[in-house]
Amino acid sequence: MRITDALKILQLASADAPPYRVILACGFTPLHLQSFLAAHLQQVLADRRVTVIPGLYDDTAGALEGVEFGGADAVAIALEWSDLDPRLGFRSAGGWGTGALADIVSTARGALNRLAAAIERIASGIPVAVCLPTLPLPPVFHTPGWQSAEAELALEEMVIQAAARLSRMRGCSLVSASRLAEDSPAGGRFDLKSDLLTGLPYTVAHASAVGAALARLLSPPPPKKGLITDLDDTLWHGLVGEIGPHAVSWDLAGHSQLHGLYQKLLAALAGEGVLVGVASKNDPAAVTQVFEREDLLAPSRGIFPLEVHWNAKSGSVARILETWNIAADNVVFVDDSPMELAEVAAAHPGIECVLFPKNDYAAGYAMLRRLRDLFGKPRISAEDGLRLDSIRKSAAFQKAPVNGSGGEAFLERAEAVIGFDFRLSAEDPRVLELVNKTNQFNLNGVRRAEAEWRADLLRPGALLAVVSYQDRFGPLGKIAVIQGRQTGGTLTVQTWVMSCRAFSRRIEHQCLKMLFDRYAPSEIVFEFAATPKNGPLQDFFASLTGARPGGTFSLTRAQFEAECPPLYHQAIELHTSSKQWTTSQPA
Amino acid sequence: MDDITTRLVSCFQTVFPGLPEKEVQNASQASVAAWDSVAAITLANVIEEEFGMQVDFDRLGELDSFQRVQEYLLEGTRAS
Repeated sequence: MRITDALKILQLASADAPPYRVILACGFTPLHLQSFLAAHLQQVLADRRVTVIPGLYDDTAGALEGVEFGGADAVAIALEWSDLDPRLGFRSAGGWGTGALADIVSTARGALNRLAAAIERIASGIPVAVCLPTLPLPPVFHTPGWQSAEAELALEEMVIQAAARLSRMRGCSLVSASRLAEDSPAGGRFDLKSDLLTGLPYTVAHASAVGAALARLLSPPPPKKGLITDLDDTLWHGLVGEIGPHAVSWDLAGHSQLHGLYQKLLAALAGEGVLVGVASKNDPAAVTQVFEREDLLAPSRGIFPLEVHWNAKSGSVARILETWNIAADNVVFVDDSPMELAEVAAAHPGIECVLFPKNDYAAGYAMLRRLRDLFGKPRISAEDGLRLDSIRKSAAFQKAPVNGSGGEAFLERAEAVIGFDFRLSAEDPRVLELVNKTNQFNLNGVRRAEAEWRADLLRPGALLAVVSYQDRFGPLGKIAVIQGRQTGGTLTVQTWVMSCRAFSRRIEHQCLKMLFDRYAPSEIVFEFAATPKNGPLQDFFASLTGARPGGTFSLTRAQFEAECPPLYHQAIELHTSSKQWTTSQPA
Repeated sequence: MDDITTRLVSCFQTVFPGLPEKEVQNASQASVAAWDSVAAITLANVIEEEFGMQVDFDRLGELDSFQRVQEYLLEGTRAS
């Protein structure tokens, strides 16, 4: 990105959009880094007006210690060696040489501890993105430049140790040094003239790369949820229908290790909660035999569903999406045939189509990295491990006719327990993840920044309900969030999301019943807004009021009870001082 | 307007978006409040990108008005 481009992007931001304020802490004059960080964030936060506020120059630790919660939505930190000791920069007159090294290392250790403590404090309340020193150390060591010096390694070791400590903090993320090195090679980063004349030590290209890296940490692309893979010449090498289930390969001996690596990646993704399905034009019996092979590296038990037949793959993908109950833009389709990719892409706009490069190792490596990037997430939650299991159970649930007597009996025998946690806590990352990733059952589609979310929970009358579900088939984990406020006799719901895995269980009805029971409001006001994807929620409201809502509306208890179907769950309040068990009666 | 002036006006509008177009050619550090040292460096970088040349940062202090920047660019054009 050029500086001109960055400035023009910022000029196009709507002045009326809600602000997104980022504090940029660095020890140098931020100049273009400030513009690039703001521009890269503005590109992904089109509905916000991004403002980057620089902290105090020459005192990164002081700037961080002065950060107040509520004053910013996020903090970006660009550390350089001079933050640890000014003698490790080029603008200081402090001495270099062997005599100074021990003191430099000692000073750096103290500075790093102070910085780490300040970052830890901020990360407990505001998202923090950190870029560790990116510039070469100045020639302060006694060794020639091609040889690492002991003191140099000691400095690098203490930075890595501090980084490892920070990376364990939920609110803190760190720029990958190796990925940054690909985007901004080491030799093209430092600009001594700019450092001495303007105070910015970065070349324009490096400032852009660091700004982009920090922006990506603060506003990462949402990870994809599912991967649909082809089989022949993709999951394995060879056509199973022609050479047989024991001749297809994915190993070094068969010169097909790339397929083995792909299988290993799928196994890792499945373990992280990514849904993996198969769409293949193939002989089902032969495929079954391959999936029974003990040397298969892909997670045969973790792949669901398998669409194996001779019909069009776009139809297979449609059925898989229906089973998973997720939209095409959450899914990646991998196939070795450009024609199949094109057919699926045409039928499912938004799906990410990836060509499996059979004989191109460089392209194969790039594909593995691309898939990791598409599915990468900062942390793995307990719910990630439950996802596939609950999808399988959902599929069983969906097959039961809920409206018929058979379906009613099915719900009655499900032994469902719904837990409501009303603590006003912002510590569980799953809660905000649900709010910001759920589309179909989402009250208004508003995405919430962590700082704003925390502030809302501190307001008088604040309400938060985190809803968990389990039945005799197993737990679904935390599946819904309701957030709002109580003012007098009115309950206002600002946020209501529910995972699509929890549909068809009348959990949404139980949520409303719990709100009416617990808060006894005269009415509940819903800050509803239609989105292109929240049709299921609109249908739910229509079932209660007779019409899809057009905007904010209210619902009385009488209206709700008149239309509420029988509820068979056991509703429990969790984590309250006086735990009460309330068994719902059919309304 | 000649080509250099047109492109220079565009650079000024990029760095000082609040500056009305008709006032750009009379702009100076004295008349534009936003033209501080940081803006001066940004302006120099935007001019570098637009004209594909290096601005001599040692002379940044002299480039304190549209007219002087324009003369600096013409000087560079004549020298090359």
